[in-house]
Amino acid sequence: MSSRESILAAVRRNRPEPTPLPPVADFGGEATVEQFTHWLHFIGGQVIHIDPAQPLEEVVRHLYPEAVRVASDLLPATVPVDAHTPTAVLEAVDVAVLRGELGVAENGAVWVPEANMLHRALPMIAQHLALVLDHASIVATMHQAYAAVQHTGHYGVFIAGPSKTADIEQSLVIGAHGARSLVVLLR
Amino acid sequence: MSHPQRAAAFTSDAERTTWHDETLWFVRQKRDKAVYGIPEFQQLRQLASDIKEHTLSRLDEYLEQFEQNARANGVTVHWAADAEEHNRIVLDLIRKAGATSLVKSKSMLTEECHLNPYLVKNGIAVVDTDLGERIVQLREEAPSHLVLPAIHLKKEDVGETFHLHLGTPKGEKDPQALTEAARLHLREKFLIGEVAITGVNFAVAETGAVVVCTNEGNADLGVNLARVHIACMGMEKLIPRTADLGVFTRLLARSATGQPVTTYTSHFARPAEGREMHIVIVDNGRTRQLGRPDFRASLKCIRCGACMNTCPVYRRSGGHSYDFTVPGPIGAILSPNIDMRQHSSLPFASTLCGSCTDVCPVKIDIHAQLYKWRQIIAQEGELPAAKKLGMKLLSSVLARPGIYRFGGKVAREGLRFLPHGLTHAAAFNPWAKARELPEPPKQSFRDWYAQQVVK
Repeated sequence: MSSRESILAAVRRNRPEPTPLPPVADFGGEATVEQFTHWLHFIGGQVIHIDPAQPLEEVVRHLYPEAVRVASDLLPATVPVDAHTPTAVLEAVDVAVLRGELGVAENGAVWVPEANMLHRALPMIAQHLALVLDHASIVATMHQAYAAVQHTGHYGVFIAGPSKTADIEQSLVIGAHGARSLVVLLR
Repeated sequence: MSHPQRAAAFTSDAERTTWHDETLWFVRQKRDKAVYGIPEFQQLRQLASDIKEHTLSRLDEYLEQFEQNARANGVTVHWAADAEEHNRIVLDLIRKAGATSLVKSKSMLTEECHLNPYLVKNGIAVVDTDLGERIVQLREEAPSHLVLPAIHLKKEDVGETFHLHLGTPKGEKDPQALTEAARLHLREKFLIGEVAITGVNFAVAETGAVVVCTNEGNADLGVNLARVHIACMGMEKLIPRTADLGVFTRLLARSATGQPVTTYTSHFARPAEGREMHIVIVDNGRTRQLGRPDFRASLKCIRCGACMNTCPVYRRSGGHSYDFTVPGPIGAILSPNIDMRQHSSLPFASTLCGSCTDVCPVKIDIHAQLYKWRQIIAQEGELPAAKKLGMKLLSSVLARPGIYRFGGKVAREGLRFLPHGLTHAAAFNPWAKARELPEPPKQSFRDWYAQQVVK
């Protein structure tokens, strides 16, 4: 008998009496820009309100005056990135500016599906990350976020703030392996 | 060695023990603050518990559904009955990929299976990429906590380790500088990684996706730059629906560190074009635990570590004193299932105060299970000789009122004139190691009561 069969047989033998699956939860909550901003700041990120009329390029240049290599599909990029871009090119990206699909007010997380990433590694390998988010696409909680996303696709990530660690004496350090800073450009 | 013996080594440094205790208590307080901000938190705990219980009651069906969906996504699913088979499968995959090195993000399962030493023995270079795990890996130690692997170390220790292995200046102990050094060192490893191993926080049956939660971004960076992704999961990681992630992602980070959510909550379902993804589903004793009605609830665990942060024994004895992959209260109920003889002292590493049960986000009755394991361990004759003898002696005294009365008298009189060094000698009276015995009363309750009746 293969391990698969023997494991499944053991589960069938040992599983407890059936219990019901509870219905999908939703506890309401505040889907506000204020909540979202509060929590994103709390976890080390930043919210910047932008005027939809202002070219994104200007906003980004103003925010990252020293960034030379900018990867984005939302503005004229200086580094073209797609799914086949070699690691060496990705590694040199200063700033990635990508579209966030959905913001979560209770924790400052932003849903970024694969389609918005240009390359799967870009949101983590870029030194800095900016996510452009429509203020109308903020939901209250993770329950509503998953309800809105429905299917998490081939690959997708909720990104909540910059990469961080507290593995050395519980001291919070921003910029572990992923992006050193995270800005949400809210329009 | 038993838990008390290993704990004695840890507590010999009183200052460090105090620091460890206070630091973890601080994490517990951060947890409380995060939890109190969510009015429905107790309902979420109940939901999480119900979802997990339901999943366990139909685990075979969900495993098959998960496998079918993962396969449809282009993922290869492997099954491992035990640690050895798991390790063999992983090594095979690495060899098939023609790789000699790999990057690994946090996975308690691979710790449980002792994957690293196995791979190293077979000529594979393994780099743990979680900062805390990298620190303990360089020091050739085991993680001492589920989510804070290097919590037993001070920044000076880390500075010394990095000086030795990463060439940071001697005496450098600034966490910011040390983290930056690790970032640069590990980036090199990510860039050349051919194979990436991750653990799994949740496996969603209805989509075949696995969800990995990190703060550092190391899982995503590793997987998305490597050609082959191997996700290793214990079979109890399954949940039925994507919607259930709403419940668990709200509980996990808040319970673990007091964060509202982990920085990265990543959903891997299908490998990128031209790449491979494998999932290894591991039993390693889990089906046996499923068949123990008193202990199966331990399979609901989502590895948040809240029970450790709150445990007065864990906080003061350190993770290494448990000598098991999962330390703390949850480790003390998981370990006897793996090897009761080896881990027989762990269910006694508890005051049974129940704080672990109170903070558990999936409502595992941890302290009740600790108590039940004690009964089994005693029945199986696995108690240490002194405890066994002491219990026997005590029960024979308590069963004979005459001897009990006489013993009380001897103790009351004896304590008055015997030297302190003898009555508090650690060899005879371990209870008095750090405590004073109470002043002996002049008379027993029985004598006092008799006088009251006469009046």
